[in-house]
Amino acid sequence: MALEEYKGVFIFAQQVDNEISNIAFELLGKGKDLAADLGTEVTAVLVGSGVKGLADQLAEYGADRVIVVDDPELKEYRTEPYTHAIASVIDKFKPDVFLIGATAIGRDLGPRVCARVHTGLTADCTSLDIGDFPLVAIPGREQKHNQLLMTRPAFGGNTIATIACPDFRPQMATVRPGVMQKKEKVAGAKAVVEEFNPGFTPNANYVEILEIVKEVSDVVDIQDAKILVSGGRGVGSAENFKLLEDLAAAIGGEVSCSRAVVDSGWKPKELQVGQTGKTVRPHVYFAIGISGAIQHVAGMEESDIIIAINKDETAPIFDVADYGVVGDLNKIVPLLTKQILAAKASKAEN
Amino acid sequence: MDFTLSKQHEMARTLFSEFAEKEVKPLAQEVDETEKFPRETVEKMAKAGFLGIPVPKELGGQGCDVLTYAMCVEELSKVCGTTGVIVSAHTSLCVDPIVTYGTPEQKAKYVPDLASGKKLGAFGLTEPGAGTDAQGQQTKAVLDGEEWVLNGSKCFITNGKEADVYIVIAVTGTVEKRGKTMKEISAFIVEKGTPGFTFGTKEKKMGIRGSSTYELIFQDCRIPKDNLLGQKGKGFNIAMHTLDGGRIGIAAQALGLAEGALERTIAYVQERKQFGRAIGAFQNTQFQLADMATKVEAAKMLVYKAAKAKDQFNADGKTSYSVEAAMAKLYAAEVAMEVTTKAVQLHGGYGYIREYDVERMMRDAKITEIYEGTSEVQRMVISANLLK
Repeated sequence: MALEEYKGVFIFAQQVDNEISNIAFELLGKGKDLAADLGTEVTAVLVGSGVKGLADQLAEYGADRVIVVDDPELKEYRTEPYTHAIASVIDKFKPDVFLIGATAIGRDLGPRVCARVHTGLTADCTSLDIGDFPLVAIPGREQKHNQLLMTRPAFGGNTIATIACPDFRPQMATVRPGVMQKKEKVAGAKAVVEEFNPGFTPNANYVEILEIVKEVSDVVDIQDAKILVSGGRGVGSAENFKLLEDLAAAIGGEVSCSRAVVDSGWKPKELQVGQTGKTVRPHVYFAIGISGAIQHVAGMEESDIIIAINKDETAPIFDVADYGVVGDLNKIVPLLTKQILAAKASKAEN
Repeated sequence: MDFTLSKQHEMARTLFSEFAEKEVKPLAQEVDETEKFPRETVEKMAKAGFLGIPVPKELGGQGCDVLTYAMCVEELSKVCGTTGVIVSAHTSLCVDPIVTYGTPEQKAKYVPDLASGKKLGAFGLTEPGAGTDAQGQQTKAVLDGEEWVLNGSKCFITNGKEADVYIVIAVTGTVEKRGKTMKEISAFIVEKGTPGFTFGTKEKKMGIRGSSTYELIFQDCRIPKDNLLGQKGKGFNIAMHTLDGGRIGIAAQALGLAEGALERTIAYVQERKQFGRAIGAFQNTQFQLADMATKVEAAKMLVYKAAKAKDQFNADGKTSYSVEAAMAKLYAAEVAMEVTTKAVQLHGGYGYIREYDVERMMRDAKITEIYEGTSEVQRMVISANLLK
């Protein structure tokens, strides 16, 4: 099998309950850029039962072609039939690049598929480019062009690795959700829809779904949150935490707090960040009305971005903050919420 | 050189010791178990004059010397570490700085009620980010017309919430020192009940569990301009000097804990029999006790010497007692830790049971190596003086 035969950028269009997951649109956005660099097209692979009607949505976000694998066996995600579906698509259509979202489903599916088709997979990528491999030509060694360069944090984010897969196809990657940008929606766009069914034999030899539980938890685990809106004594009262809750709702984050807040009985202990609470590492940590004593900072200083709002410009929290505002949180937080909502509204219109 | 105590001192000790046996000891276990501040005991001590021992008579105190006060803390701590520290924090950390640095008006206003025990005192220096490095203060005081406005918080404050009068250290600006910008620190007297002054968490501690250790919170707390204690910008010196005296109190507390544990161990090893005889008959026990008693005696001499040095300062206003106090506190605290640990060992399994006093004493002893300057700080003070 010659590598040249492999063409096109494919993305796995994850759907759950016949609703396309956001990550599919993000992958299309990135896939389109990669396809442009390679002079090829982007294809979405939609797998499920009775999902054909979703193809237009994928077209609106940039899919040139949609391959639909539709079978009752594919109603709910299970490793075996989905692997069979994707591996069969790869065997038949021979994509050059195959991207899967690094969701719980994608992280399960990606490795199974790559082992079955015998190729390389980079997990949880945060950046994808087309370039040369090796990056810098080495005398006496062939430099390959138009390779997918997959970049991902490794060792707990302490190093950044760029990985290529020069000798096998497709070049596969699972991509961290929330990192890639969707394209603007083109209403009414259409894509070529191709149906493909490799044939499924019902089997529950390995996996049988007994029950699907939709989790409704009343107290979130702040350690899983990507964005934390954290309040300290400066918030002033339990009622005033509404400002933070509004901000968290607007930005898709969770509310956490300092020890002082728990001691005042404004919030439960589960939400406490710090030495005697939980250690968190969200992408974004808002420290609102938190002075930033080391006892608190020890629990959040590993956050990717720290944004501090405090009326005292000498508060130690500003020593660890990436961005800071000196001022009254009662004025700043509602404004911030408003701006975020406005930005989201204008984005939704596009 | 005379190592005998005067008649007055002997009488005072008898008084303290009887009070401790009768009023404090019966409650010690309950106070520890329930973490309850012994309010009734404090009232009884106030009546007995224990809360103003080294305070001049004209300010409503007992007019006794520092040694008498140290012995009071020592005797109380023999039976209950909590009660010892209540007296020590009140006397050394709140009353003493007002007596030493206060204006005549401040003394007249605050000291009589504190000395009589009508009011209780506390001292707010430590912050979450400023422990040993007390210069790292974040609490601010800004002069606004006729009032200082305080913002910030203090943590681990002994007698917190129970006390009526607080000495609070805060930053009042910056000063240029040797080309470096330093914080200007001042001391203030703040009364409980002032709007904007509240209490945060009560800490749950390993030992001295009846002592009320609270966070103090200042949010736009306004106090009269006249409540500045001493000169503006001299707060750090006032705090350090106050702690020098406080260290004598804590050294006395550590000494008392060690003595109490030793006394109980001596009694226990004479009662407890194994292998057909009292365990006190075994040479290991005897030698352990000999070591413990010798260290306790050495600690006692250091504590009493430091108390005498402070007396000298109170008389002439210039004798330094900081090294004596640091040595006494360092040594007495480490002896207290060692002696109480050995006391538990010599009690065997029973020593680990809460029904016996020694496990409480061991838990209480540990804090004496930490508060009012850790053992490391004491070594810094001592060595800085050796190498100046």
